[in-house]
Amino acid sequence: MKKWKAYPVNFRIGAVITGIMLLLIVIGFFYTPYNPTAMDNSAKLAAPGLRHIMGCDNFGRDIFSRVLKGMGNTFLIALATVVIGVVCGTVVGAFTGYYGGWLDEVLMRVNDVVFAFPSILLALVFVSIFGTGKYNVVLALGIAFIPSFARIVRGEFIKYRDMDYVKSARLAGVSNLRIIFVHILPNTLTVMLSSVMIGFNNAVLAEAGMSYLGIGVQPPDASLGSMLSEAQTYLFSAPNYAVFPGLMIILMVLGFSLLADGIKER
Amino acid sequence: MKYAAKKLVTMLITLLSISFLVYFAFDIIPGDAALAALGTDSTPERLEALREQLGLNRPFLERYFEWLANFVRGDFGVSYKYKMPVADMISSKLPITVMMALISFAMMVVVSLPLGVYTAMNSGRRIDRLIMVVNQIMMSVPHFFMGIVLTYIFGLVLKLFTPGGFVSYETDFWRFISYLIFPCIAIALPKIAMSVKLLRGSCIEEAAKDYVRTAYSKGNDTRGVLYKHVLRNAMIPVITLWGMTLADMLVGSIVIEQVFNIPGIGRILLTSISYRDYPVVEAVIVLIAAVVIVTNFCVDIIYQIADPRISVGGR
Repeated sequence: MKKWKAYPVNFRIGAVITGIMLLLIVIGFFYTPYNPTAMDNSAKLAAPGLRHIMGCDNFGRDIFSRVLKGMGNTFLIALATVVIGVVCGTVVGAFTGYYGGWLDEVLMRVNDVVFAFPSILLALVFVSIFGTGKYNVVLALGIAFIPSFARIVRGEFIKYRDMDYVKSARLAGVSNLRIIFVHILPNTLTVMLSSVMIGFNNAVLAEAGMSYLGIGVQPPDASLGSMLSEAQTYLFSAPNYAVFPGLMIILMVLGFSLLADGIKER
Repeated sequence: MKYAAKKLVTMLITLLSISFLVYFAFDIIPGDAALAALGTDSTPERLEALREQLGLNRPFLERYFEWLANFVRGDFGVSYKYKMPVADMISSKLPITVMMALISFAMMVVVSLPLGVYTAMNSGRRIDRLIMVVNQIMMSVPHFFMGIVLTYIFGLVLKLFTPGGFVSYETDFWRFISYLIFPCIAIALPKIAMSVKLLRGSCIEEAAKDYVRTAYSKGNDTRGVLYKHVLRNAMIPVITLWGMTLADMLVGSIVIEQVFNIPGIGRILLTSISYRDYPVVEAVIVLIAAVVIVTNFCVDIIYQIADPRISVGGR
């Protein structure tokens, strides 16, 4: 372990922000000060105060509790999206990069087609066919993320496949699958790590956008994006309703992008 | 030329595949067009008659090619909901969305180019560090939240514009533009931050190379080296980003239109999705995707003019 001070400044700030965010998310899974869907008529659009530290929304629901739940939802959706993108992207990229040939040509053309299709549009196609909901958004965003990861992994595999250590492993009779997953894949991890983090950020932003449009997480389930969309109606009387969910999205994304920058600099 | 030809073929294949996939996707939806038009309480005979009339009984490929041929001619089919040609619905809205993307793009270029060069020239100084901190935060703000913040500050507090207000370009062009300014700022800000960061990094990296030292030793001054040599090379990655951004802005305006209540293409797309008005959804999605793909193609070509080292073989 390196000393904490030896890391770049942006990495340290990013680590602190991300740490706090993750802590809040974990707390939100197990405990919220109020029931996030319980309505309280006496507290409609209450200002931030001691009882409700972020105030209440138009139904009198505690904004802080909803923000905690919403962050959890956003986090899980972004995580699932990135997992789909990384796992499928790695498999596609590894095989096409390692073997090359016609399979590579065909899959890369397919890749280009998916890559050219904007991810929000893909999500809208999914939603209009299968209906709204978070699982459809996860699937659509996940698919939209595959090509960029596949390209990165493929590039790495092309770099490594003709290296001497790979050749000698092949001569020693190691199977291709073992070379791909045991000998080459670990070498691509450092490159993957920062793109995974950037991908995670894009997923957070995309999910927030979808839920803002009302096609992601469905009410009464909380999501940072859908809270912003509701908050807009009450922007003049209760700006705090919009500020806190927005701030949380910014902090989540900021923390991760600082971390990613820090990793790249090292 | 060979490069351009290869890119052109790739572009056409991509366009064709996407139109096919979208058409296919909307074709396999349970519940067909006849059902959507007549409702679930109509008789099987009437449904069958309408299917015959709409040509839904013909083979899939035959329908696809007819649809494609019509699409290329500008006939996008008829809306289930409004019973009017989709082309008529879109044509008056398209300029709004395109205008928004173009204004945002212009803002991005005009602001980020000088700012990127300025921060690179002053790298390490206090002003550079300040700009980079602001920049990093801007990159993390989702554009629709930026839109809400702008609405609050400039619309509700400073009363510079009426939130939710809009004037069509047909009635008053300049007031129309004035209503687009804030939405465009919301779209442009995160992209400005991104391209300032990239341009700054790329300028610093380029300025450390040997040929720059050679240029100095030949007696050039800082400005001459910067504008004649460094910037030209430093721009190459930035142009790629800008190309991808133009497409992003077009798609991003779908969300921003909701924030500022602007009746553009995004609005049509979202309402059509909620009404299950598939011909409209299909047409808008293929149209946007086509614009994105054609933009990417143009960027590839400009990219090659900017950097002659790129060719078919060297990838």
